[in-house]
Amino acid sequence: MSVHEPPETVAGADPPRDQQGPGQQTAGGRSRWHVLSFSNISAVYIGVALVVLFSIWVPSTFLTSSTLTTLLSEQAITGIIAVALVLPFAAGAFDLSFAYNVGFGAILAASLIGNHGFPVLAAIVLVVVVCGAVGAANGLLATVIGINPVIATLAVGSCLSAGVNWVSGGNDVIGLSASYQAIANNHLLGIQLPVWYMLAIAIAVWYVLQHTPPGRHVYATGGNREAARLTGVRTGLVVFSSLAVVGLAAGFAGVLVSSQVGAGDPSVGPAYLLPALAGVFLGSTQLHPGRFNVWGTLISVYVLAIGVKGLQLAGAPFWLPDMFNGLALLIAVGISQRDHVVRTLGGLRKLRPPA
Amino acid sequence: MSDTHRPVDAEPILQVTGLSKRFGNQRALDAVDLALHPGEVCALIGQNGSGKSTLIKVLAGYHTADPGAALRFRGRPAPLDDRSAPWRRHVRFIHQDLGLIPTMSVLDNLALAIGYRTTRAGRIRWRDERRRASSILAQFELGGLDLTRPVGSLGQVERTLIAVARALLDWEDTSGVLVLDEPTAALSRPEVTRLFAAIRPLTQRGVAVLFVSHRFEEAFAIADRVVVLRDGRVVADRPLAGLDEPGLLSLMIGGVPEAMYPAIASPGDDDAFTVRRLTGARVRELSLSVARGEIVGVAGLAGSGREDVPGLLFGDLRPERGEILVGDRRLERPSPPAAIKLGVALVPSDRVHRSILREHSIRENVTLPMLRPLWRRGRIDRRAERGEVAAWLERVRLSPPEPERAMGELSGGNQQKGVIARWLRTRPVVLLLDEPTQGVDVGSKSAIFRLIAGAASDGTAVLMCSSEAKDLAAICDHVIVLRHGAAVADLRGDVLTEERIVAAMVTDTPAGVSA
Repeated sequence: MSVHEPPETVAGADPPRDQQGPGQQTAGGRSRWHVLSFSNISAVYIGVALVVLFSIWVPSTFLTSSTLTTLLSEQAITGIIAVALVLPFAAGAFDLSFAYNVGFGAILAASLIGNHGFPVLAAIVLVVVVCGAVGAANGLLATVIGINPVIATLAVGSCLSAGVNWVSGGNDVIGLSASYQAIANNHLLGIQLPVWYMLAIAIAVWYVLQHTPPGRHVYATGGNREAARLTGVRTGLVVFSSLAVVGLAAGFAGVLVSSQVGAGDPSVGPAYLLPALAGVFLGSTQLHPGRFNVWGTLISVYVLAIGVKGLQLAGAPFWLPDMFNGLALLIAVGISQRDHVVRTLGGLRKLRPPA
Repeated sequence: MSDTHRPVDAEPILQVTGLSKRFGNQRALDAVDLALHPGEVCALIGQNGSGKSTLIKVLAGYHTADPGAALRFRGRPAPLDDRSAPWRRHVRFIHQDLGLIPTMSVLDNLALAIGYRTTRAGRIRWRDERRRASSILAQFELGGLDLTRPVGSLGQVERTLIAVARALLDWEDTSGVLVLDEPTAALSRPEVTRLFAAIRPLTQRGVAVLFVSHRFEEAFAIADRVVVLRDGRVVADRPLAGLDEPGLLSLMIGGVPEAMYPAIASPGDDDAFTVRRLTGARVRELSLSVARGEIVGVAGLAGSGREDVPGLLFGDLRPERGEILVGDRRLERPSPPAAIKLGVALVPSDRVHRSILREHSIRENVTLPMLRPLWRRGRIDRRAERGEVAAWLERVRLSPPEPERAMGELSGGNQQKGVIARWLRTRPVVLLLDEPTQGVDVGSKSAIFRLIAGAASDGTAVLMCSSEAKDLAAICDHVIVLRHGAAVADLRGDVLTEERIVAAMVTDTPAGVSA
């Protein structure tokens, strides 16, 4: 039996379909316009509908270029976190500590620079390393010790929350240098820097997941951890690394938060929890339905942000955005349940009636 | 063949006509007609992928039939697709996975099916529940069962009987339908007999039983009539009387069956795989060697240590002592990646949980253990990958050879062919197989044996662990029998027969140890 066959194309197969996920049958009749179908990118259509809605509702405030640019840059930090979160979710792990880690990174960076006079670059590196270590701790708890990642990261999140108050004493840290503030507030080609950081990170994560063996190992671990392990995938290492990467990204996002605001605000972290989670889950219903993926996640983060922003500009009560994010998370998880995504998340397994 | 009365002329309890079902452009069922008469046991036979499961799922309301199907229940037209239609209360299903909650007690499992009876204050009337449960279990010779035991601690036959009992709770129908969807897959022969004894009285009450199974002898033991499905069509609907097993087999697979077992080439001399005094898990002092091109079998009853052999040899279970050599290289610090690196491949038992990625494409399933050759210009070359996988699917006769289909959509036999392709692609020195034909239909079983023989004739050392003595006797060069963790026989040549393997598995005197 000779093993390496010449690469031959199957007669009647579709054109290369890099964008297609599993569960989609090769169907000769399906055109490439499927990429634009509602079932594939429903969030984009919802986003367009939201834009139209708010353009009619509050045209004077919503339809301005400043709304667009602030939306783009404000959400870039959420986008960075959400994109990094795709890794553990795709590997079937879970992280609830990331938002607290962002808050911890933000206050730590502000405190090192504002209170302890660290050079900007040294402070940034230190923060990213410390937050990355927190992510690595999540990974060790989830793999070596074997604590369910939901519980492990929830507990670590609480510790981080304490860390924020310990570092800050509960007070804002002010007096951050202009050079530090420039990191998140300068522009390149008319667009704020965080958007570029986000795109760079998204491309890196997408490339790893989509085009490299480690990416395959991540998805295989999430698909069936036992089967992946018995196929030679180091599943423990995959889960550990994915949680560690979220830690690194959280640290960098924390740096951007305090740079963008120009101060260290101890209450800033938890606000990133829901938008990022909702974005990741809703993202798993887009582009590759049934699979956590980078571009679906980014689209979802922005669609949800358009909804929140529009409601704010339309004068909705201050509590409405939280409600919007909560409902969006429920709907996104509901849809992904239908697409079988969450079956891979042991901690959130839904009991299905026997078929 | 049973002697139960069978009023053929009586009106069917349930009759479907013109039932078709497509999934995409695949036709799972094609104008199927099925009638179930009072008091009869009808066997539904077909290979994996023949449409059996789809038919059951349509009847259960889980799938919607394509337009054109008609249902008559007790002579009256009834809606087939309405999940809450009244007729469904008269049709009970027992699915292969039984649907019990292992951590809950027998009593809870029974009571959950129909709701607890409570006092006005909302307290569960435990005494009533216990009485009701005992009385239904008594019908299945389970009257003395401790109702507080968790279901998971019971044997398979007790669990199956409890699932049957649960399906029959509150079911006083004299003309209902009981559908058993491969309930015997995990049962031994005496256990099957016990299950059948419990089902018989129901038919005397006038109930129709639809019995789905892979095993012919069971169909002959209990059924009056047989419906054979092939490629979604009913190819036979006739009394079992006058039909024998080869006749039924040729109906099921269409045409004269190929020989089940391939011819085996003689092995080479050089040892490719050597195990010396390996002790770990339930295995003690196991020594064996497999030459290139040789197929060695490991037999043993459940609990004999046979189940732990593949895990130990693949580095998944930690050995306490002993050594494993692939060629002349020693497996240091055993782990699956280390074993794979030396050229060991494992096709595990329990395919669904330990082998396949259901929601991933066949392509991703096949290439997972060896992605490096596809790494070109900084990325996995997906076009090359698809072509290579398609070629492998042709080779293992996985049909249709569509690399992008999700693994979970395939039949069990096709999934196993995909798993074998996964490992053959890595050009293993040693191929370990654990129950390689578990849960696959007869046609695929023979195809899988052919693949195993083909791998051996290409020079792979094959070690096959199985509880099927007949298969081991047919395709192995020699078979090592384990009992209580230790090798008690090494059968080859004239003494390598099914009978001698079974004898060595169950008796205390070695059945014949040959050099």
